[in-house]
Amino acid sequence: MEDFLGSLGPLLQSTVRYATPLVFAALGGLFSERSGVVNIGLEGLMLISAFAGVVGSKFSGSALVGLLVAIGAGLAFALIHALMCITFEADQIISGTAINLLALSGTGFLMVVIFGSGGTSPRVNGFESVAIPLLSDIPLIGKALFDQSLLVYLMYVLVPVAYFVVFRTPFGLRLRGTGEVPEAVDTAGVSVTRMRYYGVALSGMLAACGGAYLSMGLLSAFTEGMTGGRGFIALAALIFGRWNPIGAAGAALLFGLFFAVSFRVNQQAVPIEFVEMLPYLFTIIALVAFGGRAIAPAAIGKPYRKE
Amino acid sequence: MSEEPREQATSLQGRLLQIAIGLGGALVFPIIAILLSFAIGAVIMLVTGHNPLTAYLALIEGAFGTAEGFGRTLLYTTPLIFTGLAVAVAFRAGLFNIGGEGQLYIGAITAAWLGVSLGGLGLLAIPLALAGCLITGFMWGSIPGFLKAYFGAHEVITTIMLNFIGINLAYYLAQHPLRQNGPIPGTESIPYDARIPLIGLGLGRANFGILIALLAALVVYLLLWRTGLGFRIRAVGLSPGAAEYAGMGIGTNTVLALAIGGSFAALGGGVEIMGVYGNMDVPFVANLGFNGIGVALLGRNHPAGVVLGALLFGVLTSGAQEMQFATDVPLQLASVLGAVILLLVTATKLVELIIGKRARALAGVHLEKGLGG
Amino acid sequence: MAESEAGTGVAGATAPVVLEMRGVTKRFGDVTANDDISIELRRGEIHGLLGENGAGKSTLMKILYGLYSPDEGEVFVDGERADIRDPKDAVSRGIGMVHQHFTLIPRLTVAENIVLGAEPRKGVSLDLEGAIRATGELSERYGLRVDPGARVANLSVGVQQRVEILKALYREARILVLDEPTAVLTPQETEDLFGTLKELVADGLSIILITHKLGELIGVGDRITIIRDGKVVDTVDASGTDEGALARLMVGRDVLLRVEKTDVSVGEPRLAAENLVVHANTGATAVDGVGFEVRGGEILGIAGVDGNGQTELAEALAGVRPVEGGSVRLDGEDVTSSGADARQRRGLAYVPEDRGNKGLVQDFSLSENNALKTYDERPFSRFGLIFPSIMRRRAAENLRAYDVRPADPDARAGSLSGGNQQKAILARELSGDPGVIIAAQPTRGVDVGAIEFIHRRLLEQRSEGKAILLISLELEEIRSLSDRILVMYAGRIAGEVGPDATDEELGLLMAGRGTEQSA
Repeated sequence: MEDFLGSLGPLLQSTVRYATPLVFAALGGLFSERSGVVNIGLEGLMLISAFAGVVGSKFSGSALVGLLVAIGAGLAFALIHALMCITFEADQIISGTAINLLALSGTGFLMVVIFGSGGTSPRVNGFESVAIPLLSDIPLIGKALFDQSLLVYLMYVLVPVAYFVVFRTPFGLRLRGTGEVPEAVDTAGVSVTRMRYYGVALSGMLAACGGAYLSMGLLSAFTEGMTGGRGFIALAALIFGRWNPIGAAGAALLFGLFFAVSFRVNQQAVPIEFVEMLPYLFTIIALVAFGGRAIAPAAIGKPYRKE
Repeated sequence: MSEEPREQATSLQGRLLQIAIGLGGALVFPIIAILLSFAIGAVIMLVTGHNPLTAYLALIEGAFGTAEGFGRTLLYTTPLIFTGLAVAVAFRAGLFNIGGEGQLYIGAITAAWLGVSLGGLGLLAIPLALAGCLITGFMWGSIPGFLKAYFGAHEVITTIMLNFIGINLAYYLAQHPLRQNGPIPGTESIPYDARIPLIGLGLGRANFGILIALLAALVVYLLLWRTGLGFRIRAVGLSPGAAEYAGMGIGTNTVLALAIGGSFAALGGGVEIMGVYGNMDVPFVANLGFNGIGVALLGRNHPAGVVLGALLFGVLTSGAQEMQFATDVPLQLASVLGAVILLLVTATKLVELIIGKRARALAGVHLEKGLGG
Repeated sequence: MAESEAGTGVAGATAPVVLEMRGVTKRFGDVTANDDISIELRRGEIHGLLGENGAGKSTLMKILYGLYSPDEGEVFVDGERADIRDPKDAVSRGIGMVHQHFTLIPRLTVAENIVLGAEPRKGVSLDLEGAIRATGELSERYGLRVDPGARVANLSVGVQQRVEILKALYREARILVLDEPTAVLTPQETEDLFGTLKELVADGLSIILITHKLGELIGVGDRITIIRDGKVVDTVDASGTDEGALARLMVGRDVLLRVEKTDVSVGEPRLAAENLVVHANTGATAVDGVGFEVRGGEILGIAGVDGNGQTELAEALAGVRPVEGGSVRLDGEDVTSSGADARQRRGLAYVPEDRGNKGLVQDFSLSENNALKTYDERPFSRFGLIFPSIMRRRAAENLRAYDVRPADPDARAGSLSGGNQQKAILARELSGDPGVIIAAQPTRGVDVGAIEFIHRRLLEQRSEGKAILLISLELEEIRSLSDRILVMYAGRIAGEVGPDATDEELGLLMAGRGTEQSA
């Protein structure tokens, strides 16, 4: 029993760590999709930001600068997606896929250009764990929740903030309207285009935080392809959480648990490949259980054209 | 909404001209996407201190300049034809098949297994093993089809998830039941006389898999335009409303289209194993599935277009090595170009801005996922 | 003009003119939707705008609301010339519009819908209590009962409409335009609405009421302007007229060339519906216990205003929409549970009203469209393969026979004009020698020449002993082709008349005023 309790704490701590990038990305996806723009490119946005963060940190020596560079990169690429989808009416799913490919190949390219070779970047200063006094002494969950990197604490703050913005501010009301019935918002005098740009821009910045945590929090370097599908899992968490910040965060936490477990499984008992499949398998099950996009924002995926 | 019916030319010349305009119209968007991406690539190169002109020349040189280079180009083109077809067939039904990568791996492991088990049969092993790939790919591809038809689960996410699952499944099989005796993780090698023969003629490692790929493209053409199933797939993709009113079942066709797509991607994996690698190592190749999307869109989801699109991507990948060797431009640039092409190729308003609205109307081009055969 | 005492009694001839539209003309391509229209609205008046579908009423009001700009003409609000470029302009001038199709966001609450775009704030956040309070106040003041915290998706149509009205009132509208407000209401809800309108004008608002339901206007309107074919026919006092007169003004027109109809001996019933109950996409009951028979050699016309269940009826008969109750029989066989292709094989032809999205695959060639239902049968197909050259040849024959221009089997269907597309569909459906034909709005948006052609073809089929069900919004068409006419209202058959029925009779039945046929 003690043994179990003893291992529970570290497991929870791992869960939170693995969940963090998913939560950031899911929140990002939330703002984009609530405004009516599908963002399949979360994976690519995270990857490019992970890289940008490492570059920023390497050349400035400061993880904070790295974070800002990461957010900037995420924003820039998200705006490309926005430009393609909103202004040029490209297919949103294809544009998102292109962002993913661009991020994958672009980071590979830049790795060679900046660091001289592909694979993994040199180590950089990341966000070390900072224990919050008193809170981190709580038995069992204290370490798990309150002895984490600053970015994790940022994530704690952002979830309720996101909830507040979406459901308690005029901006959030208009955002939700844009994703449901853009005509209604348009006739009320609010610019659908502008709201959608905001939504996508926010998704870039939030996903960037997730990417930055990957390369400067969870690990301390950039490796090609390090996102490993997390952007898509975040989307599934979003769907599972019914496009609600609290729900999405909860779902992301669950997926984080799967990741944490997968690294602890006895490799003699279960082959590692099956364990690695778990998050993806669970995503499919979640989708099936919730009827796909039956409850998505109603106007999602279609460009808005004035009459 | 009525338009003036277009003048129907009766003379042969007139007809040819019309076909040329139609074709030109159809190609306008892909061509603009390609040109723009090369321009952007040039800018990137300038920014990173390289000369775009020499780089692009080296690229072309590498892809076509020597027989060996051309052979390499063929090697890269072949799997892209398969994954491009996999995406194109699904698009024709109005569906996104992003699962080409996983489907390819399923085919690859199938071929790695069957190629070894049937190795004693020599060349006869090839069609048998490839048939096996078609079957496993069909089954794998039907999964997202079912999930969509019966549960409404969007195929974009399910196919992507199945990529990861499929790759892991293939790796598991390669490292455990099918593992070879030895230090390197991977399957046993297929005996040389059971592999797809090389073409020779100084083309390096290019093999007759390219012919299989071209044959596959032909089969897709026949399927889409000469069978009842293909007729239904196209109708459902172009107008689900009219298809439903005509009594065509949308659900069944969803499953079939994705399953067929899966089988072609799997076939591609099988050809890679039996023609190029001889076995499946862990890790294996990457990103052929995703590039298949670009290939399909460039080719306007038509088999002939897919072949040309695959050739373009093949040229990029193959020439990039020479480009890196000659000018130090990292070969990842080729992938970057591919991604930019994909980004631009469905941005219809952008092209309108460039060539003007009238020109687009003149071309009479319709940018939904299909193109009237 | 006599003093107006009807309706509210507030608007007299001396009340100031709050809105004037002068000489408004609007064209869409060849069609003139509004032709030199002038109307005026007085303070405190309920002014009815009466006309059939397509008469031009909605276009006129969209111009007022800034959604369209007029080709000619001007708008004056409170005597001042107004250049209204978009809805924001209109709103700032105190014009509010309640659209026929609500622009409400189902997932949000009533209060959220009302304040969106002009939200009350408390610092950075949305003042939800303030929004609820404001909603409550408006609701009290005008007697529009709503629950501010309720989700719009859960509200009945009547309550949703109140929310739309509140949206306009929240933005301080003084001129309110309601576009076909009672089209979706029950009689009780309609009464509630009119009570509300009377309250509003008592408070000094002025209202324009767009409708085709003349009975209602008599009850609640002060003055009524009748529009027909884009022009103003007349403006009358509600008190000085009656339903019959209005019907005549609304519907009467120059008689078009009527096609010659020969006498044909009528045979057995070939299409029969019994107690049909069909639901619309929203789940509401669209067809509520309809029964009838169509015999060989006869054309049964179904008249009625759009939205009374005709669309769903046609779809259910064709096998494209499931039936919730009742049965459908083809030549005596019960086909209620058969799908569309099974019915087609039994000799049912269906010309759907949405030819663009449901009748043709726009991006297919005419040859492929011609084979859309028969591609898997001989001679087009064998062993799963299809033979495009045979399809092309057959298509060419059909296209020529049905005067489709261009008669080119390789032409893309979407490139044809509306009339030619319709003829192509007809060619496909009729070439299989069907026994029963369902034609829904067969000449909507079609040029005169093609209309004549299509009518002649339908009569030909009639002479050959086929049973034809003709559903149309065009009374002239119904009258000139049908042997018998049923009028549909609110999902039921309101009555049966012959082709020589007067405009008055038809108009009244279409407006729901008539003897109900017992199902």
